[in-house]
Amino acid sequence: MTTQAKAPRSRLDPEPVPRRDWLGLSSLWAMTGALLFGLLGLLKLPKAAVLASPSKKFKVSLPDVLPVGEAFVPPGRAVAIYKDSGGIYAVSTICTHLGCVVKANAEGFECPCHGSRFSANGDVTKGPAPRALPWLKVSVSGGAVTIDEGVVVPQGTKVA
Amino acid sequence: MRKNKLLLLISSAAVLLLLVGAAAEENYLREWRRIQAQGRSDEGSIPVQLRQVVNPGLGVADRCVSCHVSMGPGEQGVRGAAVFVPHKPVVHDPADYGCTVCHGGQGQATEKSDAHGDVHFWPEPMLDKSMSYAGCGTCHVALHVPEQAQLRAAELAFERLDCYSCHRVDGKGGTVRPDQGGMEGPNLSRTGLVAYDKEWHAKHTAKSAAASDGPWKKAFRAVGSDDLTLLDTFLATRVAAPQLVSAKSVFLSYGCLGCHKVSGVGGDDGPDLTRAGFKDPGQVSFEHVPGTGSMANWMAEHFRAPASVVVGSQMPAAAVSENEIRQLTFFTLSLRRKELRDVYLPKDRIRAAKFGEREFSADGATLYGAFCAGCHGADGHGRRLSGLVSFPSIANPDFLAIAPDALLTKTIEIGRPGRRMPAWLKADALNADDVKAVIAHIRTLSAAAIESDPHPPRWVKGDAAEGKRLFSSTCSGCHGSYGAGGEGPALNNKVLLESATDHYLVETIKRGRRGTAMSSFLEPSPVRPALTQSDIENLVAYLRSLQGGKS
Amino acid sequence: MTPTTKDALREFSDNLKAVPRRVMETAFRTGPPTTDRTRSTFVFGNVFLHLHAVRTHRWSLKWTTTMGLGIMSVSAFLIALVTGVMLMFYYKPYPEAAYESIKDIHFVVPTGRLIRNLHRWSANLMVVAVILHMARAFYTAAYRKPREYNWLMGIGLLVVTLGLSFTGYLLPWDQLAYWAITIGANIAQSPREITDALGITDYFDPGGFQRLLLLGSDMVGAEALIRFYLLHVMILPLALAALMGVHFWRIRKDGGMVRPADADDQLFRQPREEALPIFTEAPAKTYHLAAIVRGRTSNVGRGPENTVPSMPHLFYAELGVLMVTLLVCLALSLVSDAPLKELANPSVPENPAKAPWYFLGLQEMVAFSAFMGGIGIPSIVLIGLALIPYLDRETEGTGRWFGGPGGWPLVRLSIVLGLAAPILIESFVIRFGWLREWFPSVPQLVITMLNPGTLLTAVYAFFSMWCIRRYGSTRAGALALFTCFLCGFLVLTIVGTYFRGPNWVFYWSPSEWPKH
Repeated sequence: MTTQAKAPRSRLDPEPVPRRDWLGLSSLWAMTGALLFGLLGLLKLPKAAVLASPSKKFKVSLPDVLPVGEAFVPPGRAVAIYKDSGGIYAVSTICTHLGCVVKANAEGFECPCHGSRFSANGDVTKGPAPRALPWLKVSVSGGAVTIDEGVVVPQGTKVA
Repeated sequence: MRKNKLLLLISSAAVLLLLVGAAAEENYLREWRRIQAQGRSDEGSIPVQLRQVVNPGLGVADRCVSCHVSMGPGEQGVRGAAVFVPHKPVVHDPADYGCTVCHGGQGQATEKSDAHGDVHFWPEPMLDKSMSYAGCGTCHVALHVPEQAQLRAAELAFERLDCYSCHRVDGKGGTVRPDQGGMEGPNLSRTGLVAYDKEWHAKHTAKSAAASDGPWKKAFRAVGSDDLTLLDTFLATRVAAPQLVSAKSVFLSYGCLGCHKVSGVGGDDGPDLTRAGFKDPGQVSFEHVPGTGSMANWMAEHFRAPASVVVGSQMPAAAVSENEIRQLTFFTLSLRRKELRDVYLPKDRIRAAKFGEREFSADGATLYGAFCAGCHGADGHGRRLSGLVSFPSIANPDFLAIAPDALLTKTIEIGRPGRRMPAWLKADALNADDVKAVIAHIRTLSAAAIESDPHPPRWVKGDAAEGKRLFSSTCSGCHGSYGAGGEGPALNNKVLLESATDHYLVETIKRGRRGTAMSSFLEPSPVRPALTQSDIENLVAYLRSLQGGKS
Repeated sequence: MTPTTKDALREFSDNLKAVPRRVMETAFRTGPPTTDRTRSTFVFGNVFLHLHAVRTHRWSLKWTTTMGLGIMSVSAFLIALVTGVMLMFYYKPYPEAAYESIKDIHFVVPTGRLIRNLHRWSANLMVVAVILHMARAFYTAAYRKPREYNWLMGIGLLVVTLGLSFTGYLLPWDQLAYWAITIGANIAQSPREITDALGITDYFDPGGFQRLLLLGSDMVGAEALIRFYLLHVMILPLALAALMGVHFWRIRKDGGMVRPADADDQLFRQPREEALPIFTEAPAKTYHLAAIVRGRTSNVGRGPENTVPSMPHLFYAELGVLMVTLLVCLALSLVSDAPLKELANPSVPENPAKAPWYFLGLQEMVAFSAFMGGIGIPSIVLIGLALIPYLDRETEGTGRWFGGPGGWPLVRLSIVLGLAAPILIESFVIRFGWLREWFPSVPQLVITMLNPGTLLTAVYAFFSMWCIRRYGSTRAGALALFTCFLCGFLVLTIVGTYFRGPNWVFYWSPSEWPKH
């Protein structure tokens, strides 16, 4: 960018660059930086900070008598809770294929959407499901049982 | 152009600076972030993120747990900041119900004063900590609580009969025998909510007889039937909210429903109080309210001196102690019902809504205390309020001895049109059974037994003209010319004259009403001669002539 | 001959390595704008930039010519547009959900509070900027031939801007929004004042029709909200964009910003370091001739070249204005939150229920006659504005601030009168009331015709006529009238904002408002 008056000559010639236009460059970069920073900040907006769904940790009140092998499904939750001699454990009932809710049956679980079958401890026995049903963290304190859908524990983890 | 470049540079730099500042403020300096950064659980430091308790059924998304982390679901073990105290054990799990249903405030907010509802445009500020149990009124509007005297007697009975020696109730009492597996007897704080064994007394007695030693032998004694009723009342009102129950019983003792409606039941003189707990602090004046500008303080001052906080208020100052004012404030704040899905409503409220059950105990004493005591006094001896006509004493023995049930019934059911006594027999007040119960209670307010009336209802034959002369010289000073009323009740009232027997009128004039300005007119007084029987009959004839119209 | 496989593979890998460079070259075909030719092609070869002229007159670049107000309006609009789109991620246009969604945006959405504040402040700034821009265009007589039609486009833009602001006002669904729009819808119904007086409402009811169209129902409710939302996010922005396109295109066709006839002479006296003649040698082609047209191009008959390349001169100025606008909006957003009162409650009217600030001047007049204040006088104003270029066909003073017969002294006088008249009329009305107080049974039609608003308009009109005669010039009359209305707008807006309390009673300060 020229800032000096020059002798008239054809403007079609490429001009020698006298020295860098620090002011211009810095102002343009400042603007770019500010707008870019703003844009990146804007891009944070669509990622919701809180989700309108109920909390992943929740308490359940198990029925007094829960026969071994019988699943207790808390209303509104996709978890099957079992109690046996080893303790209480919870298996997620969200099919690992494409997310439908599986139903507990005598052998384990079955998924109505694409026919996946799982054994009683969540392993895949048939169907398009790629992974076993995860076991979820159970904690017991006092008489209260808390399930944490957000934490997966190894298969076989039972809490007395 | 140089100027423009400078302008661009400086403004861009300033924009960048402000944006960086805003980003820093939002991502590092928010109060909830700073609080959560101090949080520690068994697994180390807790993740710093916005937290909320969501309950779509109640329509809440409460972000209180962003600061009060330890009250969130599964987070009871978090510690590290003063605000990380776990929630007190209460009936409803805050991790399930959220916080604002009980405590009020603005659940969506993430800044302290917004969340606590202390900002100008949030009309439901959080309840003061000492009044937290008033929040139960959001759902529990239909607790069957009796009036104060009964409740007090029930509470005292429980104490007197030494039930606290084994049973824990509302944090009081109970003996721990650790070697015998914990508490002696079950915690009775919730017997009003869950069913309890109605055969408990028989079983206790049997156990006591079978025991040879120990508390069954020493601490338990059989209970008489009167006390059994009191104990049943006590147990029925144990809902893990003793403050609220006590406050409600006070409310039901000072006749508030005589002027105000709650849940569609009550009088019409004052405003509807169904949602008085949600009164918007932005809509009231705190000019004459001492202390902080909280609704609790405003309401308390309103009870002490209504006209000073509400311009033009006709409400008389509550003649009650400071403690009772506090309880009335507590109860009024609890009047904050929300319409919720049936699954969240307590059974007594559903029964009240669908079957018309009362939202309080419907015995005669409570009905009297709720509807009548405001004007006629808790003891029935009437009230005299400055600027208003005085309300007659209905517990006066001389009155009750001669007032037939028909008179009382008619007066209560139809009221005194044109005067302050409203008609109470209507859908939003009392039904016929209620009226009977109230009359039965009134009769207990004095020892006087109702006398029999040998005469037919109309037997007086007197000279109305002579009666008129007598009336203006003797009676009109208190009862007004033509019986329109003044210091004394109106005598030309249609309902009175229709329902009163001649015997009643004659005897009233003859005996007077002890303790009031109505003296016995058979007796002479310094200001007037005594009246004879025929004078009285003439007066009654004159009064009868007023029936059906003014003269 | 086809190349061998080995050459073809080498060529493939060479091409792959050259991709980054080639992408840049094909995207930016003109190269860095270091010469006049490349600066020219940079502008007209770019789809976003080619609305600009390749060269800009130095006069247009002076701050005193335009104050940057047009660009400020566009900048404010851009900020509102971007922040508005962001808000649409979370806003829910249904009465049960709208208020909650705004609360969520304020409290939990990342950057939500700032974005919402920016949206509100940029919208307010845009209204201010377009009004000031219109004033600038008027005072520099930029509406004169050949720019008359562009002036009309500008008025259209003003109306759409106000419409955008008004429709957006309802969306938070709080007490402020609900009752402001209730009033607005009832003002739309105010032609009934006339049709009722004439007794023809049953047959001809434009008022009722307008209200029904706005609200989609007879009450402000879910239907109104979704209509206002549609208007606010789709219909009006598209209308604005279309009008803006025409407005900018017209600027090009009209030869750029308005200039006084002696602009070049004036500039001659100023340093000309950047102005160099284009053609010094035998002219080589700098741009193609697109077509042969009749008439003169805008540059025929002009004096010595006083233009500079738009790239970078104009763009620095525009970007500077953009960043300053952004700075102002940002600073305001960081210190002041967009208002949000209680949830809308149809059974508890706000008292006082006030329209958005730019309509408060009208609401002052609406207090007497809904029709006059809401429809009559605004229509008169808009029509009057539209007629200005067609009534003022003079040429003296074009391009100069307060140019034309009368000049600054006349404007100064108009300011005095323009401020004094509404202040006096308002004082009178506040102290003594108006017709209804003295003659309770006077027909409404009389008040419709004779009220402070019409009185003020009449005063201004008479003054304007007097100026036309005194200075022998329509421009003088226009200067007077425009200035008077601007001042009247100012005074009425200030009174409506700060001095009206519950029941629209005059109070000196909010501390005097009665408490319940």
